[in-house]
Amino acid sequence: MWRAVRKWRPVYWQKGISTQRIPSTSNTSDTPITLENPYKEPPKKCILCGVSVDYKNVQLLSQFISPYTGRIFGRHITGLCGKKQKHISKAIKKAQQMGFMSVTFKDPTFLKDPNICDFKLRE
Amino acid sequence: MPRYELALILKTMQRTETASAIRRTVEALLERGAVVRNLESLGERTLPYKMSKHNQRHSTGGYFLLDFDAPPTIIPTMLDHLGRDIDVIRPTILKHCTPETDENCPGLLQPDYEAKFQSKRK
Repeated sequence: MWRAVRKWRPVYWQKGISTQRIPSTSNTSDTPITLENPYKEPPKKCILCGVSVDYKNVQLLSQFISPYTGRIFGRHITGLCGKKQKHISKAIKKAQQMGFMSVTFKDPTFLKDPNICDFKLRE
Repeated sequence: MPRYELALILKTMQRTETASAIRRTVEALLERGAVVRNLESLGERTLPYKMSKHNQRHSTGGYFLLDFDAPPTIIPTMLDHLGRDIDVIRPTILKHCTPETDENCPGLLQPDYEAKFQSKRK
């Protein structure tokens, strides 16, 4: 005689048992604590951060012009951030117009200054 | 009264004549109701380029810096007065500006590529 065969199903398929684990309210000592990244690097600043740019210190302004033509270097050469590049550019133009700085060349006394910009002098 | 800065380039002259030229300038300022804060001498230097003024070619000059408070109405008259003075090579009046502090500067940031490549049109 055939007996009705119940379909075999594993126990955890039965209705009423959730497949998701219910977190236990006790034992929370080893859960991860949210922290700000402790290995975070300080934000990168450009070389003139904290340095005030003035039309009067021609030596500083001369570091950002070409020694051969006296042209102002672009952002990709100086490596300055937007604000400082604008300040430098405006200060150079102001100094040139007011008679503090030359237009077509770099003052010979400033030629030996350390090279900040990404510019190689031809030997 | 707003604060101004006068960058004055005077002809190379004897000390007494330079002194009288500066005295004239300061008196003209005071006459028009300015308050002079400070007068600095940046020395006598060779000019960065030769300048022609009052039918003369100058290659050296004395640099002076004058800090003063004045009503803004006198500035055009002052520039006119300085332009007429034969001892003055180049006068420039600028607003005195305090440089901004860089405390809030976020530094060199990488551009936000995600925002750039998203279409701004709705």
